[in-house]
Formats: sequence, C-alpha cells, structure tokens
Amino acid sequence: MTGSFEDFRTSFSYGSRSDISFKFLKSMSDEDAAGFFQQLLIEVGAAYDTGDVSQILELAYQTQISGYEPDPEHPSRWSYEDRPFVKLPKPLNESRVGLLTSSGHFVAGADPEPFGVENMTQSEAEGRIGEFLRETPVLSSIPRNTPRDQLVVRHGGYDTRSVVLDFNVSFPRDALVAAEEAGRIGELDETLYSFPGATAQGRVKKVAPAWVEQISGDSIDVMLLVPV
Amino acid sequence: MSVGHVAREFESRGIPTVSVYVRSFRHVAERMGVPRTLVTRHPMGRTMGAPGDTARHSVVLEAAFALLESAVAGGALLELEEQFKPGSMR
Repeated sequence: MTGSFEDFRTSFSYGSRSDISFKFLKSMSDEDAAGFFQQLLIEVGAAYDTGDVSQILELAYQTQISGYEPDPEHPSRWSYEDRPFVKLPKPLNESRVGLLTSSGHFVAGADPEPFGVENMTQSEAEGRIGEFLRETPVLSSIPRNTPRDQLVVRHGGYDTRSVVLDFNVSFPRDALVAAEEAGRIGELDETLYSFPGATAQGRVKKVAPAWVEQISGDSIDVMLLVPV
Repeated sequence: MSVGHVAREFESRGIPTVSVYVRSFRHVAERMGVPRTLVTRHPMGRTMGAPGDTARHSVVLEAAFALLESAVAGGALLELEEQFKPGSMR
C-alpha cells in the first residue's frame, strides 16, 4: 500500500494498520510522528547490543502521553469547575468496597450484545467504534466469584491483549479479594461492575444517576473506579 | 472520560470514590474534577500494571486506599512514582 506519510500514521487509528495502542499517531504532526519512528529504530538498534528494551518501552510510553495531550484550540466540553467530595463514612476496614471499571468486562452468557449482535468479537468492536461512540453503554453486573474463564472482555477503544492475559490489569478483583482477606477493607461487594468506556459521553453522563442508584443498592460505602 | 461522569455522580450522592487513571489521561481527571485520582505511570490499557504483576496491582490498590483515607478536598490527585514494569506472561 502506498500513500503519504500522513496516510501511514493515520492508518494506525482504525485504518488499514489499526493498532489501538498507537492510534494517537493520528493526532500527531508528521514531524513529531517521524521523530518517534526514527528514535524507535535507534533504540531498537541499541537494544540489539544491550538486550535492554526499557528505552523502547519508555519511548512508546512518553510518545503516548504526548499523543493524548489536550489541544488548547479544541477544549473539551466535559470540563468542570466544581470538585464533588465527601469524606469516608467509616474506616476502610469496616467498609464495603465496590468496583466499577470501564474495561468492557462481562460474564459469559450475559453478553450485552451491542447493536443486537451475538458474540461480537474484539475485532468487530474495533471496526464499529464509530457506532459505540454514539451509543449508550450497558452496565454489566459481574458476581465477584465469577470463574476466570467466564470473565469476558470486549472494548473497541483499547488494546485488550494484556487484559485477556490477566483481567486484573484493569479489573482488579484479585487484589481487592486479597485486601479483604488481609483485613485492609471490611469486605468486597458481592457484585462488581463494568462497561465499555468508549461510548457517547453525553449518554454516559445521562445514565450515571441510574447506575449509581443500582450500585448503591448493594449498600456499598466506597467505590474504586478504574478507567482504561 | 466515562468514569469521570460516574465518579462525580457517586460523590454528589454521598459515596466517596477513588479513581485510577493512567498518565496519558491525567489531564482528563483534572479537568473533569474527579474527586480523588491516583495516576499510574503505565501504558494505556494497563491501569493497574502488567499482566501477572500481582505485586504492582497490590501497590496501586494500596495507594488508592491511602488516597481515599488522606484526601481532604475534591480534586485530590497523586501520581505514583513507580515506572511500568513489563510483564512476563505469554
């Protein structure tokens, strides 16, 4: 495939070279993206001799941060001046803790079936990201004792390979259970929650009160929230 | 951004929250007025740490709990110094 350098770097964002760990290349300038690739190759060359890949990973990490820097010419409409805040009602070791993540987990057999599609794959979700970004997300309830092989993830907005290997990367159930066993928290809620966070922001804001009411029904005292 | 809306809603209804963001989205938490934010220096999609790195997952969780306990006002934010440690799972 031929084309301009701009075509090349934008193709990583749901295009012919789609790789959502690097979709931010689309929003970079040609010059900055070219600098990234050049430095990447330099670091690969160095790693041949040292066996140390840490600088490659650091370059990718720092470039990702740069790629998501806000554009001052296009401020987000989702900015607030107020800072809601309440104190802990009681010590953590007496508290029931809830978990909500935007990782897109659900239990096998309880697929939210976005757009009415049965068994939508991760690849299909990535291909339909434009539709997800206009849709109201579905909140999935996940019993805390769900077996590992019954916990499914699908999310068109991020690279799910790591979370497929270990759900705890973005759905930290095991660490929470360990905190409960150690007495650091009173207890972990019986039901945990997740939704695919690549969604219409206005719609998630609208549905948030109903979600909070639903989750509050578990008599939780504090919430741990994990976006991806 | 999605979690920011929900965090604000929980807090406005009297339920304290702590949210864990990766560094790339620190500015999102800041501008949305997320009540308490723990930032990890991890790549996007690996908020708690690498697959199989249970030690890091626990460090992040404990830091989140500590922030829950120590914050005195909305918008509290702490960035963990630990750099991402690659996983070894295949």
